[in-house]
Amino acid sequence: MLYRIEQRPEPSASMRIAAPIIATALTIAVGSAMFAGLGYDPVSTLQAFFITPISSLNGLSELLLKASPLILIACGLAVGFRANVWNIGAEGQLIIGAIAACGVGLFYPNPESPILLPLMFVAGAAAGMAWAAIPAFLRARLNTNEILVTLMMTYIATLFLSWLVHGPWRDPAGFNYPQTALLPAAAMFEPFDYAYRVNSSVFITVVAVVLMWLFTDRSFLGYKMKVSGAAPHAARYAGFRESSAVWTGLLAGGAAAGIAGMAEVAGPLGQLSPQISPGYGFAAIIVAFIGRLNAFGIVLGGLLMSLLFLGGETVQMNLGLSSSLTRIFQGILLFFLLATDFFIFYRFRRVPEHA
Amino acid sequence: MLNLSRRKFLQYTGAAGAALTTGGISGAARAQDPLKIGVVYVSPVAEIGWTKQHSLGVEAIKQEFGDKAAITVIDNIFMPQDAERVFRELAASGNQLIFGTSFSHGTPMQKVAPRFPKTAFEHCSGIVHLANLGTFEAKYYEGSYVAGASGAHMSKSNKIGFIGGFPIPDIVGPANALLLGAQSVKPDITCNAIFLNSWFDPGKEKEAANTLLSQGCDVICSMTDTATGVQVAGEGGAWSIGYASDMAKFGSGKQLTAFTLDWSADYLRAAKGVAEGNWKPEARWDGLAAGIVKMAPYNEGIPADVVAKLKQLETDVGSGKVHPYAGELKDQDGNVKVAAGSVLEDKDIRSMNWFVKGMIGKLG
Repeated sequence: MLYRIEQRPEPSASMRIAAPIIATALTIAVGSAMFAGLGYDPVSTLQAFFITPISSLNGLSELLLKASPLILIACGLAVGFRANVWNIGAEGQLIIGAIAACGVGLFYPNPESPILLPLMFVAGAAAGMAWAAIPAFLRARLNTNEILVTLMMTYIATLFLSWLVHGPWRDPAGFNYPQTALLPAAAMFEPFDYAYRVNSSVFITVVAVVLMWLFTDRSFLGYKMKVSGAAPHAARYAGFRESSAVWTGLLAGGAAAGIAGMAEVAGPLGQLSPQISPGYGFAAIIVAFIGRLNAFGIVLGGLLMSLLFLGGETVQMNLGLSSSLTRIFQGILLFFLLATDFFIFYRFRRVPEHA
Repeated sequence: MLNLSRRKFLQYTGAAGAALTTGGISGAARAQDPLKIGVVYVSPVAEIGWTKQHSLGVEAIKQEFGDKAAITVIDNIFMPQDAERVFRELAASGNQLIFGTSFSHGTPMQKVAPRFPKTAFEHCSGIVHLANLGTFEAKYYEGSYVAGASGAHMSKSNKIGFIGGFPIPDIVGPANALLLGAQSVKPDITCNAIFLNSWFDPGKEKEAANTLLSQGCDVICSMTDTATGVQVAGEGGAWSIGYASDMAKFGSGKQLTAFTLDWSADYLRAAKGVAEGNWKPEARWDGLAAGIVKMAPYNEGIPADVVAKLKQLETDVGSGKVHPYAGELKDQDGNVKVAAGSVLEDKDIRSMNWFVKGMIGKLG
């Protein structure tokens, strides 16, 4: 008996709902087998992974703090991804946004000014957009591949940050270590409660999610971008300019990443050092796809990704599982999530054997 | 009017004493409970490298305390955002002593420590101290000075190669000492330096080592978190100097020596201090004398009389008789930085961001 993979005539509505449930069930089954095989109790391990991290206020605060930049960046990226504009360089745009925001925070003449934080916000967004504008221009005018250009611009951003913190922006009181001085209090987001780290920057993410939803589901430009992603020829025939999709997609991603960088430096970091992002720009690409490029899905995807991070630490702390095992488990879950999504658009069909 | 009878006085002071032991940093309050210790590594423990050497400290505590210590280790935490969460979590879950093992753990520890005033925090390679945050650091330069002398004895081209992770004082200082040690044997020897801007990038490090070999360096020292420098040097027929761990088995028999790190004394001192209730935040900075820095066994290819000289140098540097940064010291451009007869001050050693004369290369 043979099977063939074939495209479904219509994306399957039932699979759309069933896919994440099947993925979760498969992950729990495979994960439990793995944990049991290694001598850990599967139930308590899974509990430590998914429940313990968020069973306290501090845990919830940490979950939001970690998820917020992921969701914010993924929203920006998804705008472009829907139109087949592949911005892989959100990490670089985040770094440039953080640099610009930190520059304003450190060198603005009045360190107590109430407009300091808004200025940093604008600087972060503008810098992220400017960084993304370079690949947008090259793609729109010269038809260069934006995947390569955005990715390579990330290395430039990383090295620029390294030069700044080793050189001109180095903290004069910091024993020549590569980091800037700490930002003044007015340049930092105030936590809701000083016992926890989460701060008002999560509202930026909430606004971004709503804007993203309005843009993709309720605006004509969003519709045009969706069409040029799904059917480029039809879009061109209808008079939708490809370059406008390129510009919109890349600038949206750049702005979101730049703001995320600003929120990191004005939130949990408080200063620049040679490495400032735990890979948020790259993880956000996964989040965007787990969320199926849809605003609501991205929120769930971002929360799940950060829960996986926190859970990985909890099982290490409580049960002594090594970090490599938790990474394997995270990989299993992401694999099943994306693999089951495949069956929304494709199916197995039995092929009768030829006589 | 203060009317204190002897009995009342004893009551008050006794109560205050009890409050101190229960309220202060003390693990001895309830003897049957194990001392809870949290340790945060930047990477998983490997065969060699920075984290491996920290794990020696953890092992030393386990050996000494047995089941009187419960140690929780979290590895793979480098970024400050993540580190702050982990430190907070460790402190909140009742660990009485918490170790951070990387410079990048500093700012998060400074934020978390004041929130948990009863917890003792120990930060390796830190620069900031608080009421419950102490630091410990190694005098890498003592080891690299002796290693540099061994390199000069064996070099034929009179060119040493140095590969550094980042151009930070902890690396720049030992690089200078490596050359100064070599110059103590052969005054005209030089050192080519390359920085990778990464602790762990074997590809880039291999390239750097090959560059140094093609520039004629026949002794290579690499201060990163890999054995690549030692390995590439050995494959290219050049001598090598290991750092952090003894890397002899990677060096094709060409590792001259290694200046290795053993933090056991630091870990034990902190753990005992907390267990006995007399822990204080310190700024410990030790080298060869305290055994925090140790020289790996010298290569069999080094003549016996040279080995004897090197062992003597170890003793002299450890005792302070020979100071690696003794004047006269000139920078790359020939400006005198330390006058003859004096030595570089400790604070200038810890913030060293200039190369001595004879170093070839740029910082950054």
